[in-house]
Amino acid sequence: MSFYDIILKRIRKIQEKAEEEEPITNVTVSAMLTAELTLIASVLVAVVMVRLIHPVLMIIMIAAVLIIALMVMPIMPRLRREQNDDLNNMMFYVVVALGIIVALFYWGNLNV
Amino acid sequence: MNANALIAVMVILPIASALFLNLLHKKDRTIKILAIITAIVIPIIPLLTPYGSHFFGGYVPLAQNATLAQGLPSLITGTQLFQFHPGIMYVFTSAQQLMVFVLGLITFFAIFTFLNETKRPSGVYAFLMFMGTASVSAILLSDDIFNIFVFFEIAALAQVGIIVASGIKNNYETALKYTLLGNIAGPLLLLGIVILLGVTGNVNVTDMVFTFKQGYVDPNSPVILMSMALIAFGWLYASGLPPFHTIKSAVYSKALPHGAALLQAFSVFTLVAIGIIILRLFSYNPFTNIAIIGISVIAMILGITMAIVQTDYKRILGYLAVGELGYIGIGLGLGTAFGITAGLFQAVNEAIITSFLFIGFGTVLYKTRTSNTRKLGGMMYVNPKVALLVLLAGLAMAGVPPLNAFQSKLMLIQAAIQSGLPELGIIMILLSIVTFMTFMKAFYTIYMRPKPKELEILDNKIPRSTVISMVALLIICVILGLFPQIATNSLQTLAAGLV
Amino acid sequence: MVVDSQLMSFFTAGSLVVIGIFAALFLDNLIKKIIGLAFLADGVNLFIITMGYKPGGIVYIFLPDMVVSNFAQTASYPLPFALVLTNIVIGASTLAVILGLVIILNKRHGSLSASKILRDKGE
Repeated sequence: MSFYDIILKRIRKIQEKAEEEEPITNVTVSAMLTAELTLIASVLVAVVMVRLIHPVLMIIMIAAVLIIALMVMPIMPRLRREQNDDLNNMMFYVVVALGIIVALFYWGNLNV
Repeated sequence: MNANALIAVMVILPIASALFLNLLHKKDRTIKILAIITAIVIPIIPLLTPYGSHFFGGYVPLAQNATLAQGLPSLITGTQLFQFHPGIMYVFTSAQQLMVFVLGLITFFAIFTFLNETKRPSGVYAFLMFMGTASVSAILLSDDIFNIFVFFEIAALAQVGIIVASGIKNNYETALKYTLLGNIAGPLLLLGIVILLGVTGNVNVTDMVFTFKQGYVDPNSPVILMSMALIAFGWLYASGLPPFHTIKSAVYSKALPHGAALLQAFSVFTLVAIGIIILRLFSYNPFTNIAIIGISVIAMILGITMAIVQTDYKRILGYLAVGELGYIGIGLGLGTAFGITAGLFQAVNEAIITSFLFIGFGTVLYKTRTSNTRKLGGMMYVNPKVALLVLLAGLAMAGVPPLNAFQSKLMLIQAAIQSGLPELGIIMILLSIVTFMTFMKAFYTIYMRPKPKELEILDNKIPRSTVISMVALLIICVILGLFPQIATNSLQTLAAGLV
Repeated sequence: MVVDSQLMSFFTAGSLVVIGIFAALFLDNLIKKIIGLAFLADGVNLFIITMGYKPGGIVYIFLPDMVVSNFAQTASYPLPFALVLTNIVIGASTLAVILGLVIILNKRHGSLSASKILRDKGE
């Protein structure tokens, strides 16, 4: 089974769970695949910036991100489902983000 | 009347015209004439206005007013109270000139296409567009942070109005979601502002910076950190960075194409204006820059990856617009004069290019009444000239030379490398490529693949004004791409002042 | 025990903000959500008023028979009150817009439940 088929199967499984009636076309799958690869690649490159804090921490974090990414692949269908237009969902993430921002500004000022 | 009163006219004229247009219900001809005259005048005013500052009500600082200062006790003249700005102040420099001019230009093109694509132009819709332009100009000009908050709320209401007026399916739901979220972000932004007021006793940004620098207030006190976080949160809402990227892209997709073109310009310039305020107030704290860069990178990654998996081309553009905001944020977050100049230049470019794209793809909606890419195809044969213009807009967004975003993205990457963060450069290049791919995917499905049988193409001709607007925007893109100094020279002074 | 009225007002403002966010997050009925948001805005307004409070302060109107230095020391700070007035006006207009939208949506869907009206439509 090629990589493409594995991804296709996983996407189908996740979509079944979500009960989406969208048809799975070639374009959908390749779009998902591109998004997936872009996501992982850019997150990995972004994590390299941890080197400014400590090089060893960077290596550990890159390894961790890689392992997590491979284990929970494909991430994109889930991420897409999480970022939907439901008000309750949006409201939840907005309040969570508020908490994170306030906490980070306190922590960041003490530690950076 | 001194010449600096023109600074206030930049805000007052669109508001006055908007209020007047609102009264002229059902008088189509008058509405058309008045709207087009205002739209022409709006971009011209910033070009005629001399640099300087305007004090509303004539409330200059006491130090500059000899008659009032006479006979005041030393309690006032001996302290910094003497220097403070008692009234609302608008500052107008070359950077503001360029940004208000570009905003005015986009307003002009939006109004121009709106008046020609709609058979019975509604005065209320023009009212909303001008009101939004006025408030975003005020946000760009104002030096008074509470004044910025007031116009932030007015801009939010105008945006809601533009969505409601579109008549697209489910637009009321999106409008309600946007206002509900805005009602969490707005009061919290205000809370951040009044905490600063409580600590420094002032709402004027220049005075607050002065208070921090002179050490009258401890800038690292937890109260100020709290206000910093709350203002940053309000900034995220106003500009549509995560976690507000989903609602912002929905907002763009629920507006008519000319409305969406204007809405994204509002977001871009609000992002820049409040971002500059945040940098001016809090850049003493290194964490501010880290936070801005972090949010921008998340916005880029989430915006662009979400754009790939969408099937509605308006939604694709909406997410791409959010993703492109990340580039501006990175420029601001780098904190060097070169980086901030690059970020501001990217903001100007992005406002132009995204309007270009929204107006361009708007022709598809005009001809087919659908925005679902699954149902579209073969539009190339319908109108190859428009297709070519849209393709050029996409190339501009991806940063292909000799178009403008190439220059600003190159500057951004250079700035990232100079600041010792080449990773940001790599991410920006990677995501530029993916942006282009996403655009090409949409372009292919709409224009190049065979036309589906069910697709009905309406017989109405694309108005010439739409094509003229697109060509004009393309010309601006090429000019800024070949001579970036035109923009960067005006932006440099502001950027250098922020470091 | 003497209760500091300013401190208590700050406490009330804080609780109003928390209640408002809680209501906006966890209540399903749109009208209740909007009441929560009004709580949030009012909490901020109360915060501003409380900040401008000065124990024993006088009204900030300078009358001809007043001494400048005395006035400067005893008058309360006028700016917060001006800001509150502006914010109340803004809040009222936003509330009007939201309620107008809710009326239209209620007519269309025949419901006030946020999870029914404002769920993801999958477009």
